[in-house]
Parts: sequence; structure tokens; C-alpha cells
Amino acid sequence: MSDKLQIKKLHALSSENRKFSFTIPLKNKIRIGKRDYIVQLRADDKHGPYVLWKNRKYPVEIVRSRQNRYEILFNDISYTFTVETPFSLQRMKVLNAQRGKTEQESVRAPMPGKIIDVLVREGSPVLRGEPVVILEAMKMQNEIQSPVNGIIKSVSAKANTNVMKDDILVEIKVD
Amino acid sequence: MDLSGKSYKAFLERQEALKKQYSRKQAEKQHSKGKLTAIERISLLFDKNTFEEIDAFVTPANQPVEFGKVERTYGDGVIVGHGKINGRLVFAYAQDFTVMGGSLGFIHARKIAKIQEMALKMGSPIIGMMDSGGARIQEGVASLAGYASIFHNCISSSGIIPQIAVIMGPCAGGAVYSPALMDFTFMVNHTSYMFVTGPNVVKEVLNEDVTFDQLGGAEVHAQKSGVAQMIYDDEENTILALKKFLAYLPSNNVENSPVVADEKSTPDVNEKLRDIVPDDPNKPYDVKDVIHLVVDKNSFFETAELFAPSIVTGFARLKGKTIGVVANQPKVLAGVLDIDSSTKGARFIRFCDAFNIPILTFEDVPGFLPGVDQEHRGIIKNGAKLLFAYSEATVPRITIILRKAYGGAFIVMNSKSLGGDFSFAWPTAEIAVMGPDGAVAILYRRELAESKNPAEMKNELVKKYRDKIANPFIADELGYIDEVIDPAVTRKKIISAFAALSNKWVKVPARKHGNIPL
Amino acid sequence: MKIKKILIANRGEITIRIMKTARLMKINTVVIRTAVEPNAMYLSFADEIYDNTADDSEIPVFLNIEKLISIALKTKADAIHPGYGFLAENAYFAQKCLENKIIFIGPSPDALYKMGNKTIARKLALNNGIPMALGSEGNISNEEEAVDIASKIGYPVIIKAASGGGGRGMRIVRKSEEMEKFFMIASKEAEKAFNDPSVFIEKYIENPKHIEFQILGDTTGNVIHLGERECSIQRKHQKLLEEAPSCALDARLRKKMGNMAVRIAKAVDYYSAGTVEFLLDSDRNFYFMEMNTRIQVEHPVTEIVTGIDLIEQQIRIANGEALKFRQEDIKLKGWAIECRINAEDVQAGFAPDPGKIEKLSLPSDPYVRIDTGIRAGSAIVSSYDSMIAKLIISGKDRKEAIKNCKMALDKVWIKGTKTTLPFFRMLVRNEKFQNGDFTTSFIEKDLDKYYFNSEYEEMLAAWLATKLFVEENLEENSIAVDFENVKELSPWLLNKRINQF
Repeated sequence: MSDKLQIKKLHALSSENRKFSFTIPLKNKIRIGKRDYIVQLRADDKHGPYVLWKNRKYPVEIVRSRQNRYEILFNDISYTFTVETPFSLQRMKVLNAQRGKTEQESVRAPMPGKIIDVLVREGSPVLRGEPVVILEAMKMQNEIQSPVNGIIKSVSAKANTNVMKDDILVEIKVD
Repeated sequence: MDLSGKSYKAFLERQEALKKQYSRKQAEKQHSKGKLTAIERISLLFDKNTFEEIDAFVTPANQPVEFGKVERTYGDGVIVGHGKINGRLVFAYAQDFTVMGGSLGFIHARKIAKIQEMALKMGSPIIGMMDSGGARIQEGVASLAGYASIFHNCISSSGIIPQIAVIMGPCAGGAVYSPALMDFTFMVNHTSYMFVTGPNVVKEVLNEDVTFDQLGGAEVHAQKSGVAQMIYDDEENTILALKKFLAYLPSNNVENSPVVADEKSTPDVNEKLRDIVPDDPNKPYDVKDVIHLVVDKNSFFETAELFAPSIVTGFARLKGKTIGVVANQPKVLAGVLDIDSSTKGARFIRFCDAFNIPILTFEDVPGFLPGVDQEHRGIIKNGAKLLFAYSEATVPRITIILRKAYGGAFIVMNSKSLGGDFSFAWPTAEIAVMGPDGAVAILYRRELAESKNPAEMKNELVKKYRDKIANPFIADELGYIDEVIDPAVTRKKIISAFAALSNKWVKVPARKHGNIPL
Repeated sequence: MKIKKILIANRGEITIRIMKTARLMKINTVVIRTAVEPNAMYLSFADEIYDNTADDSEIPVFLNIEKLISIALKTKADAIHPGYGFLAENAYFAQKCLENKIIFIGPSPDALYKMGNKTIARKLALNNGIPMALGSEGNISNEEEAVDIASKIGYPVIIKAASGGGGRGMRIVRKSEEMEKFFMIASKEAEKAFNDPSVFIEKYIENPKHIEFQILGDTTGNVIHLGERECSIQRKHQKLLEEAPSCALDARLRKKMGNMAVRIAKAVDYYSAGTVEFLLDSDRNFYFMEMNTRIQVEHPVTEIVTGIDLIEQQIRIANGEALKFRQEDIKLKGWAIECRINAEDVQAGFAPDPGKIEKLSLPSDPYVRIDTGIRAGSAIVSSYDSMIAKLIISGKDRKEAIKNCKMALDKVWIKGTKTTLPFFRMLVRNEKFQNGDFTTSFIEKDLDKYYFNSEYEEMLAAWLATKLFVEENLEENSIAVDFENVKELSPWLLNKRINQF
């Protein structure tokens, strides 16, 4: 399939928009400067899955994956990447140019209740679906989730305060 | 045949003309918008060299034109044909925006209708990729009739072959009914939209300013209207996901779903399942954590993730075989059932029933969402949809009660009395007519009113109630559930239960169809 | 030895630590099992377990004086070791032990009381000529007094709560115009946190180093110090990394500060283990802050460089024995660094990440000492603390200790929660840290990133993501669909399905 659209390269985009490019077919080798170093994905009973690189074992865990978005725990640090084809990368550029100024999204209380916990602060990146506030209502704690991917612009919700339906909890600058 | 002869030359010339029509320049017009051409989409979707196009050369040139002019083109703006996807025969049509804006004229519609009829005859799934400016105004009423025939075919095939719509560009006006009639709709974010009436008319009639995306973009349909079940940020990933999705579905309503072996050898017993439900009954958890550990590793494909998130639906595999999963989601609105979640669940269940896909239900529901809004908008008849769908389904149905199962919601979520085949409960299950707080308030109303310290008395009574009533053991002893199980062996239990049900057959009543509340 | 059985009124790593020494001294230990962590690691080390899982009261047993005393009496324990935190510095608890003829392994109720009250402690320091940051010598009753005193001390000043610490009720004031406002805020906060709005004022020392001295005293009046610990690596007043000794001190300064530490301890007739905290400014002036009247979390680094088992000393002192060493006998040899590995997400601003530890693999090199209360399967309970383990590394000098630290940190594998490991991996590679060039504001001001990852790590993670994508989507049989099975429909079913209509 890859040669259908002539996919010769894939780009892994980090959540901070750093791009890592790899040629396809993907080799178990990474080039740094003039040398190629071997990299392998393995697993054993003691450590679980790990990446072998320059004779060192790096523990890895795939925390979640959705179609082309991967959240990876690599040596105790979380990274989120989306894997893009050259075409989807180009598409991103086209769409970003068109949309111009990035929009803002307000997260509102879906029902009246009490804020138990605020899980984000100004500047935190969020993914669509990630919880931002815990709201107690109907005798249960509910996760209020971010509807978009973006960065928290402002936090109005305060722990231990009551909110009404549609009160603004958090504002997000959309990616 | 003489390769230099006249007939062969004509043949080659025609091929050249077709190639010219699908020129680089046209392709670039699509690419500059971040979109792929119809041919590119088809070749991404189908296995290498398996796609056979039909009616590539039909032209609208001879169609009566009521107003304006129509160019002579081949194909009339849609590519239709059949091929193999992951080795299985599938029919598809892809509207071509580069040819007359993909507008639907008489011939265009007839091509689609032809391929729909073929798919139905062969008992194979059909995929429609929409990217069209809408009806071809020049051809007038004929193009409307074209739409109607497409809709009619959708309905004739409904519940017989899987029909999937992929919206990859505009799909407006009457055209939107085709995806609405199909089983599942995929949409591409930002470059596709669906609405009955566009922003221009909205502005004219209602003086409301709204963009295409705000009115009918992918996110709107995924989150608010529920018209689209799967959305992705770009076309390639949409198509790749579609291929994965198809592998869960049977080709028609008589065959079984294909099998994809459990390569990761998911363990049948997993102690992590014991740690998921918190001890505090008011603390939420993510039911997907349970689902991921019970089904084959990495096999859960969620549908309608962003719509009515208080219920989770999707396909998964158990030892390679497809099942449908329905689960209340405690971390959204406490997992209550409301209008949207009831309809989301009901539609999913009816699809599974139509296509012989067994259903696995995870239950943790405190009841229905109260409120004037829900009552006035008809929670009564919408909740009834879910009940109807479960009860009507003759596929094997298993329920696992994880925690709360109160009142009407307990009945609705595939209880045994509705024909559920097996009901298992975790030790944390609370099966009762009503939750402890409500029950105590009613049963001990007088005592609480007369008490000197009602809050303390209530707490004590709630605790007593919880210990005595809100547990699965009474239901177990009365036979309303089959067994209280150790969460760690859930997968093992379900696999053996479904194996016992593999030959299940229930005769459906002899009637044209039921009258499900709509 | 009078003490034959010790009840340890604590849980987690310090309880295990105490039991290790008690075992060497052939003393029996009793610990308490709670409903919150009925399978905790510390239970496996004890000679006797008192089962308290039926207790469902709001107050945890480790804060319940009556209950602890009754458990000690029931189990016939001679002594109670309070560990750190909980009731370790509670004078009333120590008093109750005394009244019930239970030996409290710690200082006297009187010393606990005096050093527990900041105002009294400061008065004692003042009267004994201990250098300190000038302050209000008593609680401030109102804004006017605050302004007045502050102008005498000289800005910047810091308002502090009289009855508690941890940053609450604390405000730095740099300008006299701001004093009124901050005074109100600080006392309100203190009232909320400690039920006591009383605050006092001190001179604020900018960007100091936090240096503390370990004290040992016996009941015959001997008090010595065991050198200092460098604890400037803190975040929001929580220590993350401690060292012994400190590269900021030379022998002369050590002697001077040590003597002051001993002096203040003697002023309350201190016995058992304790710690005197100082702030050291950039001109090598030091100021007494407070005294911690308990064994501290970071005690292991002192044990390594002095070769003295502090828990053993505590038990002997409580047993009535005199100290076997004099000040001249105390020699500091080598270097020790302690990293507190907590279940916190450094990428989310050190937010706690409670969960269950699935796998735990710790190095066992000779230069590594691990003090932990967590093993595979343990849950990190948010109602206690988020500590997973203390990684204590030694070396012949600071450079070697840091090098050993780097190696040891790379050998730690913890699966189940996010941890502060990436923070330490970054810290040991940080040039300023390596040069000893840091103060208590280091983390907030001098670090632009809180965790370590080489650019290769991100690239390797990207490679992995790409590899997964290729496997799931681009390979020939990404989805190995088996259609043969489809044909295996039982005749029963096939017949029914076809003939149903």
C-alpha cells in the first residue's frame, strides 16, 4: 500500500511540533551524523517491552494509541506523537494557513455541581478527551473533558466551589 | 488482432483521453486543499491491483439539460467498482470533486445505483466516499430522482449488507440522507461537512452567521448530532481506520464475521481487573480500562467516541471473533442513561443484531438522567429505544454488572428478563430498585423526620442498606444473575459463555417489523 | 538493655528502617496493620503485628494518641518509636508515654514543646547568642506593629505562621507599602491551616543555602553534632535531594556552625537525635531557623559519612546509655547523596501520580543503599505520602558520588506510576549542580526543564511510534484477516439463517 501513494517517508510529530523523519521501509537503524546505530524493540519477562540502543535497555510502554496518535512512555518520560505521511503534513500546512488565527474553546459545566479538583493549570497542553476538571454532581464525581487538542489559556474553576450549568470552567487555545 | 489497426488505435486514444481527464493539474487542485482525488482514495482503500472500475466511460453528454451547460466528461464525476479489501470483496463508489465538482447528475446517480444493486446481489459490503457539490442544477428534476434511487437502494440493503459512508468533502442538501441511511459514517476533520441547509441560507433566513465547520463540520457531527461515528484529522488515516473497521464486519447478514487471530495472546486471567473499580462507590473509573483487559489485546475499536460519552460502544474481538461491546461509562455523568446515550446504544445494538454479532454489555448505571430537559424531550420514548433494541436482539447477549445497577436502568441494560443469555456480576455490584440514598429517604421518611440527628441516622441506614441490599448476592440467590465472579477471570468466563451460545437461534415473530419508538 | 520490644507508630520505609536496626540489636518489634494498606511491605519485617483493620474512624491510628498507648500496653511494648511525621514531635504524646511508663524514643516532652513553638525557639536562640535572622521576637498583633518592626529589621522580611510550616501562612514582603496587605493574607492563611492566625516576622534572606546539622544528645547532658547536610535542592519547601557533607562548608565554618547547633540543643537539655536548621547566605553568614526534634527522612546520608547508625543511637539513648563518642571522634569520610524517588509526574509540574507499582527493579551496587517501603504490588496511597524509595549513593568524594548517582539512576526501573527519576537524571547532569552552585531557589529559578531526556530518547520514542504505525497500517498483513473461518458455519445456524424469512 505504501507505494500506492509512494510513501517513502513518515514523520513523527511531537506534541511540541518537533518533527522526526524516517524513511520507509522502516529499518532497525538510525543515522546520527555519519554512523548508523542499530535500534530494536524487544521484550523480556523481567523488564517487559524495551528498546535496545547503544547497548542500553530503555523501558517503554505504549500508554494509548488512536489511529495515528501514540502516547509513549519512554524511559519514564511521556511523549505524544502523531505519525504523518508527507501528504498529511502538507495538508496540515494548508489548513493552518487557511484557518489563520487559532480559535479558543470554552469548557463549560454540563450541569450544576461542586468542583472537586482542577486538573490543569495555565499553559498545560491537553488532548481532546483528557479530563480537565472533576465535578461532583448526582452524587458522583464526573470528569469534565477537553473537547479539543490545545493549550490551557485560563482556568476559572476553583476547587471546592459550586458552579451552575454552563459556567465557564476552563478556556483552551485550540491547536 | 493487429495492434496497429484502427480499432486498437481508437481503444488506445480513448484510454489517453481518460488519463488526460484525471490530470496532474486536477489532482493538484484537490491537493492544494489538503484533499486526495477520488482515484487516490480508491487506491488507498483497496488491496494492490484488485480494483476493477465499472462504467468509467459513461458520459452525461446526452442527458437533457434544463438550464445552463454540461461539459462532456467521462465517468460523470464518480468512480464506481469493486475490489478486495484485506482479501475480501467490497464494492465502492467515490465521488470525484475534480469532475464537475462531483455534482450528482442522472448518470452519476445511475452508476451509484448500479453498484449498490451489485453489492446487494453479491452479499458484499458497500462503501460510499462522498465529495460532491450536490445535485446538478442543470439536469433539474432528473438529478433529484437520481438521489431518490440511491436512497431507495440504501434502504433495500439496510440490514443485509454493511453500508459505510465516508464524508471527504461537501455533502449537503438532500445528499446527506444517503450517509444517514447507511450503517456507519466516517468524516474527515475540517475538509468535509454535512448539513441540510447551508450557512448562506441560514444567514438569509435567520440572520445567523456561521461557518461551514461550525454548522456541519466533522466535530459537530461527532460530538453534537451523532451523525458521524468516526472522525480523523486527515484522509489517509480515515481510510486506514476504515480498513481496520471493515475487518470486524461480516460481508452480509448470513455469514459470520472474519476472524483475526489474537496474536498478542491475551491472558485469560488478569488480576489487574480487580483493581479498577474503586472502593468508594462515588469515585469514577474508566470502563475502557475494563474493556481493554477483557477483549483481545488492542482489538477494541470504539465507535461514536465523542457522542453521548456516558455510554461506550464499539467492536472488539474475543479469541479472534468479533463481538459488539456496550458499556456505561462511570466517569462521564456518572454513567447515566439519557436521550443521546439511549439512542446511541440502541442503534449499535440493532446493527449487531442485524449482522449476527454477539453483544457484550458492561453495566454500571445509576439510572436515567433526571430533569425537565430530558423529560420534555422524551427520555421516556428514547430510553424505550434501548430497551426495545436489547429485547428484540436474538444474537447471544451477555452482561457483566460491574457496580451500580439500579431500577429501570438495570432492566434496560440487557437484564436476563429481557432475554439476556448470561448475567455475571462482580463482587462490587449493587443491584437494587433504587440507590441507597433514595431508598432510605423513602422507606424511613417518618423516622428521619422525627429523628434528632437525621444526618447521622441517614448515614447509618445508608450503610446498612448498602451492606444488606446493594450487593449482587440476593440477585444471585434469586436467579436474576447467573454468577458472582472474580473480576480476574472475567475474560475466561465470557469466552466460555459465548462458546456455549455459538449456535443460539431464536425464532423471530412473524411480522413485517416491530414498531420501535422513534 | 531495658528495651526489649518496640512499638513502631509509623508505616512505610522508616518503619522498615527502624526494624532493621532493632533486629541487629535483638529487640522485638510490633507494627500496626491498617485497613488502608493491609498488605504493606513493612508488615513482613515485624516480629509481631497488631491488627487494626477493623478500625474505621476518621483519624488514622498513627495520629491517635490514646489508641497508640493502648496498643503499646496491650502488646507489652517497652518503648514507642514514632518515626518522622505523625506524632513524632508531639509533646503531649511524649508526655502520655511517660505517664504510662512507656519509653518514648525521642527527646523530652519539654524539649519537644519548646522547640515546637517557633517563638520560644527563637527566644532561646537569641538568649544563647545563636546567630539568627532578626525578627519580631513574639507574635505580631496587628498591621501597624508589623510595619514598625519590619522597618527596624530592614526589608526584605518574611511573615511566618507561629504554629506551622510548609510554606503556609508565609509571605515575603519587599516593600513597606505591601506589608499591610500581606500581613492580612498570611494570618488568614495561617488560621485556615493551623487554627491559629498568629504570625511573626523575620529578616528574609535571599537565595540562601539550607544547611542542617545532625545532633545527638544523651540523658547525661552530652551533646555532639555529626556534621551537616546540604538540603538546598527543594521545591515549594519540599526537599528532593540531600547531601552530606556540603561543599559550601570548610572545616572552620563547620566547626562554628556545629558549635552553635550543639549550643541551642543544650539550651533545652536535648537528648536523642535532632536536627538544627540554618540558612547560609552568599557571604557565609549563617542564621538559625529552627530545630527538628525527630529523626529525619534524610538521615541516611549522615549515617554513611560518619559510619554511625542513628536509629541505634536513638534506642541506646532512650535506654539511658551515655554516648560512646565525643565530638573529636566524629570524622566525616567520603560523600553521600540521597534522591527521594516519589510517585509524581515531573512533566505535569510534580503532580502526584498515585497508582500501583507493578514492577520495581533497583540497583544493588556496593555504593547504593535503598531505603524503601514499597515493593512490586504495593499501592501508592494518596492519603499518606508519595514516596517510592530513597536512593542513597556514596562515593569517595562529591565528584564520584555524582558519577555513581548517574549510573545508579539509570539502573532503576519502576513500572506503574510516573516518578521523579527523570528529574534526578537531569539534576546530576546539570553543570551548576555539579559545581555546587545552587541555593534554595535553584529549582524555581535556575532550571528551565524539570526532567532529563537526551534528544536521542525523544527520537527513539518517535521511531517507536513510527514503527507501530507501520506495523498497524502499512504492512502487507497489518490485519491478518482469516476468511476461511467464515465458511465454517454450523449447518444448524446456516439453515436457520437462510430459511428465517
